[in-house]
Amino acid sequence: MRILEGIRIALQQIWAHKLKSVFTLIGVIIGITFLIAVITIVEGMNRYVQDDFAGAIFGINTFSVVRRNQVQTGSESQEHRRRQARNPYLTMRDVEVVRRAVPDAWRFSYSVDRGFSQVSYNERSRKNIRVIGGSDGYEAMQGWEVAEGRGMSPLDERKSLKVAVIGADIAERLFPNGSPIGKRIRLGSTRLEVVGVWERQGGLLGVIRDASVLVPISTFRETMAWQRNRIEEITVKARSIEEMQASMLEAEAALRRDRKLRPGEDNNFWLQTSSDLLGAWEKINKILFVALPGLVSISLVVGGIVIMNIMLLSVAGRIREIGIRKALGARRQDILFQFLAESSTLSLAGAAIGIGLGIGLGKTVDALTPLPASVPMWSIVVSLVLGLVVGVGSGIYPAYRAAKQDPIVALRYE
Amino acid sequence: MSVDNDIVIQTHDLKKHYVMGSETVRALRGVDVSIERNEYIAIMGPSGSGKSTLMNLIGCLDTPTSGEYVLNGQPVQDLDDDDLARIRNREIGFVFQTFNLLPRASALHNVELPLIYAGVSSRERIERAKGALEQVDLADRMHHKPNELSGGQRQRVAIARALVNQPSIILADEPTGNLDSVTSEEIMTVFDALHDDGQTIIMVTHEPHITAHAERVITLRDGMIESHDAPRTVRAETV
Ligand SMILES: Nc1ncnc2c1ncn2[C@@H]1O[C@H](COP(=O)(O)OP(=O)(O)OP(=O)(O)O)[C@@H](O)[C@H]1O
Ligand SMILES: [Mg+2]
Repeated sequence: MRILEGIRIALQQIWAHKLKSVFTLIGVIIGITFLIAVITIVEGMNRYVQDDFAGAIFGINTFSVVRRNQVQTGSESQEHRRRQARNPYLTMRDVEVVRRAVPDAWRFSYSVDRGFSQVSYNERSRKNIRVIGGSDGYEAMQGWEVAEGRGMSPLDERKSLKVAVIGADIAERLFPNGSPIGKRIRLGSTRLEVVGVWERQGGLLGVIRDASVLVPISTFRETMAWQRNRIEEITVKARSIEEMQASMLEAEAALRRDRKLRPGEDNNFWLQTSSDLLGAWEKINKILFVALPGLVSISLVVGGIVIMNIMLLSVAGRIREIGIRKALGARRQDILFQFLAESSTLSLAGAAIGIGLGIGLGKTVDALTPLPASVPMWSIVVSLVLGLVVGVGSGIYPAYRAAKQDPIVALRYE
Repeated sequence: MSVDNDIVIQTHDLKKHYVMGSETVRALRGVDVSIERNEYIAIMGPSGSGKSTLMNLIGCLDTPTSGEYVLNGQPVQDLDDDDLARIRNREIGFVFQTFNLLPRASALHNVELPLIYAGVSSRERIERAKGALEQVDLADRMHHKPNELSGGQRQRVAIARALVNQPSIILADEPTGNLDSVTSEEIMTVFDALHDDGQTIIMVTHEPHITAHAERVITLRDGMIESHDAPRTVRAETV
C-alpha cells in the first residue's frame, strides 16, 4: 500500500497541475509518439511489401529459374556478379529439365519478355510497353484475369497464332472509344489480333500488368525473338512454402545434373524468390530501425531532464511535507519511493499519451495511404517500459534529495 | 523492554550542541529526566531554554551530541535513521504548535499517515483512523481538508493522528500556542481525557494555567533543568 500511496500522490499532483504536467511530459510524449508511429508505419510497409508487393511481382510460394540474379541488393561481390554474367542463357531444354523435376507443381510456366517496346493501332500508339511471350498457364501463374474477351489458350500456343491479350492502359490508349477485341494491333512488323483485355490492376504496381502485351511464346519466338532459343524465366508455383522449397531443391539438383556441374561448383543459373526482393526492402528497414532508437532516445533524454527539473521543484516546494511524513515514521526509502512513484507515474502518463497519439497517427496513415498500418503490441510494451525507465531515471536524483532531508530541518522549513 | 519497570523515558547527561561557524550553541547542557508510564508532564522555561530541543530528542526526531537516552528500555542514542523512523512511527505521537497537517489531504487521510508507514492494510487503516477521529469528536469532519477546519479542529485532527498508532508517549510542543483561550481549554480537555485513558503525555507550554493540567512540571533554563515541581508551586512562582 506504500506503492499505492506513491501513485495516489502522483496522480493528485498531475491532476492539480494539468497544464504544467502536459508541458512537463512533452518530451516523453513526442518520443513515444514518434516511436509508435515509425514502428507502425514500418511494420505496415513491411506487410505491404511482403503480402502485396512481392506477391504481385513474384507471387506467393513461387520461384523462378532465371539466367542471372536481377535484384541487386548491393551485398553481392564483384566476383559473384562477374560469374553470373557468364551464365548460359536458358533454353527449352532447361524448361523440360525443370518441368520433369517438379511433376507435382501446382502451376508451371515459362516466358520471354522484352521491355520498352511500342504498340500501335492506326495512328494511335503507346510506348514503353512490355511484350511477354508466355507459355500456356502464364496468366494463371500471374493471377491475371481478363475483363473482356478471353485469355491465352493452349491452342494459340500450339498453332503459334498471332493473337494478343493486352493490359488496360494499352486498351484505353489505343481504343479510347470502342472494344479492342478482334482489332489488329501492330508490334514492330507483326500484326496481332487482340483477343482479350485484362482487368486493370491500378496503383503503384499497375505499370506491370496494365502496360503489358502477352502473346503465345511460340508466336513470340517465331516472329519477334532475336534469339529463338532463349527462355527468360521458368516459373514454378507450389501450394505451400514447404512444397515450394522442396521443389526448388529438386529443380536445382536437376539443372546441376543436366549441366554437369561438379559438387562445390557454383550454380550457373539463378533461383529467384520473393525473398530476393524482400532482402532489398529489409535493408531499408534496417536503416530505419537503426536511426529510430537514436531519435527516440534524444527526445526521451530531453523529456527525462524536464521531468527531473520539475521533480526537483516539486521536492523543493514540499520540504515541509517531507518533514511531516518523516516525523510520522516515513523512512528514507518511503520518501524515495514516493517521489520515484511520482516521476514514474508522470512519465508513464506521458508514454500513454504518446501511445494514444501514435495509434492515432497510424490510423491516419492507414486511412490515407495504401499501407496497412496497425500498431504492434510489442511496440506498446516497449513504450511503457521506456516510460518507466525514463520515470525512474529522472526521478532518482530528486527522490534522493527528498529522502535525505533531515526531519527537524524539514519540519522547520518555511 | 522491561515490564516490571514502568519508566518510559530515561535520559542521562543529555547534551545537544549546535555548531554555527565558529560559535557553538549549547542548547542542552546535560539533562537527566525520568518519566513514568501514564505521567502527564509539562515542560516550561523561557524562550531559547532548550524545550523544543529536548522534545525533539525525546521524540527521536534528532540525535543528541552526547549522553544517553533509553526509551522503553531500549537505548536509542546510537540508532540509525530507519530505526529512529520506526520508533517515531510506533512509540511517539507528535502534536505541533503549527498543526503540521498535509494541506491537500483530508482529515481522514492525515490521520491515516502513521498507519501507512506502519504497513497497516487499508481497510484496518480507515477503521482505526475513523476511531481516532471519533475520540477527538471529529468523525463528522473526516472528509474535510485542513483549510476547511478551524484551528481547534485542526489541532484535534493532529491529536487524532498522534494517537492513532497507540504510541507510548504523546509529545506536544506548545499545542495551544496558536489557539485562543477558549479553544485552548477545549484542546486541554482532550489531552486530559487521553491521560485518563492511560496515555503518557509530555507538553511544552508557556502558559501557567495550562500547567495546571499536568502532574509534574519540569522547568528548563539555559539548557539545564532548573526544577521538578508539582504544578501548583510553579503557578505561584510564575508571574
Ligand atoms: N537547528 C539549530 N541550529 C542552531 N541553533 C539552534 C537550532 N535549534 C535550536 N537552536 C538553539 O538552541 C537553543 C534552544 O532552542 P529551542 O528551540 O530548544 O528553545 P525553546 O526553549 O523551544 O524556545 P521557544 O520557547 O522559543 O520555542 C536556542 O538558543 C536556539 O537558538
Ligand atoms: Mg520551542
